[in-house]
Amino acid sequence: MKRLASLAVLLFVAGCADDNATRRTFANSDLELAVGNGARMGCTCMFVMKMDEAYCRAWVKASPDVAKIAIDTTAKTVESSAFVSFAAKAHFVDERHGCVLE
Amino acid sequence: MRALVLVLTLGSSLALAQNCPTRASWPTAQWPQALVSPTDKAAAIKALEDAFFTLQGADADRLGLRTEGLVIIKNGNLVYEKYARGFDQTKPHLSWSVAKSFSSALTGIGVKQGALSLTDSICKYLPEYTGKVCDIRVKDPITFGSGLAWQEGYENEPYQTSSVISMLYGVGHRDQLKHILTHRIAAEPGTQWMYSTGDAQLASAVAKRALTAKFGKDAFWTVLFDKLGMSSAVFEEDALGTPQGGSMVYATPRDYAKFGWLFLNDGCWNGERILPEGWVSASTTPSDVFVASAGDGEDTPSGYSWWLNKPIPAVAHIGRVAKPKPWKDSPDDAYSAIGHWGQYIVVVPSQDLVIVRTGDDRNADLDINQLVTLSMEVVK
Repeated sequence: MKRLASLAVLLFVAGCADDNATRRTFANSDLELAVGNGARMGCTCMFVMKMDEAYCRAWVKASPDVAKIAIDTTAKTVESSAFVSFAAKAHFVDERHGCVLE
Repeated sequence: MRALVLVLTLGSSLALAQNCPTRASWPTAQWPQALVSPTDKAAAIKALEDAFFTLQGADADRLGLRTEGLVIIKNGNLVYEKYARGFDQTKPHLSWSVAKSFSSALTGIGVKQGALSLTDSICKYLPEYTGKVCDIRVKDPITFGSGLAWQEGYENEPYQTSSVISMLYGVGHRDQLKHILTHRIAAEPGTQWMYSTGDAQLASAVAKRALTAKFGKDAFWTVLFDKLGMSSAVFEEDALGTPQGGSMVYATPRDYAKFGWLFLNDGCWNGERILPEGWVSASTTPSDVFVASAGDGEDTPSGYSWWLNKPIPAVAHIGRVAKPKPWKDSPDDAYSAIGHWGQYIVVVPSQDLVIVRTGDDRNADLDINQLVTLSMEVVK
């Protein structure tokens, strides 16, 4: 039984090692990515592509559709948040360099 | 009058000296217009617009082809132009991976300007990096041959294993160059073709470092965009100033067409050679690394980050069968910059034709062959 358990552990470790060698996993939660996308692409859509707010809100919609978008047209920033603890902000730099995710 | 003759003679001599094509005019300020007749070409225009401007279902469902801009240039004239979904001729459109062709061209300009060499290690321009990544040469990223174990992937695949999504919106977003260069080297640089947004962004980072040393912080505008009159061009960077040359360039369709026009004219603009002699030819010939190593799943060969209407030869030891040219009814010399969600700059030298299409296709793939053949009918 002990030998079987050791074999199982070995196989598990080998499987992990093989997986790590072929597919890397990045430490991003879906919510972090959703707010990053919302802020970054929202800023770009509003202040680089110069589209209207309705278009931009539809354009940045991603799955999971949890990111709320706050657009400040004076400061040229877009903040995106999801639930309480996930937030991201992007700001417009200039006419040549567009937006950057902070 | 004598002065005018002198200027014209000097201009022609300059073009000849640089082996550049001569044109009656150049669209630096704006494209000359010679719009096709909507009555004479009614049937061809209807076929084109039925194919690309017919929306399906509710907008929120994101169905089918959703063209936002279509511009056709023939013989140096803007002959057809149409916009939709809120876009017009003044609004820059996101390039997505069309940016890769810009990064490749900027690398070429660096070569032309003596600011870099294709055989140099990337670490010559990125001295903060050491070790195995320094085996990557400047040429490798523009041919998707860096050897980095990049994991290309978009919104329809698991987010956590996408190097791209992590770079743009996740843990890699603040220092994107570091994100790219901390991928392990999985193959000897220059030996394994693998499509990679990281490679293109790496190329743009190298080009920026090399060109900035010579031309200052707005080098991309000085050496390319300003020369072509691409006044709408935007090239985004991360928070540390690394250009996002794999995906984040913006311009109006008219300005994208100028980039296509530069390539159609062998890298020359108004008598000045912008790209090195032979660069366009190399860009539009399947790269050695593609021919030797691209997998059987690839249908369209690439050169220096341009997609080509060329057949793919079989390579038995990697299990790849021969494939015909991908856009079967289009001229053999057609090539295109291609971006996610339907962005295209198609160049057809034998037809003196440039086609720019921008869009927001979320669940459909545009058929380039159809785009080229229907456009050719419009301008015939």
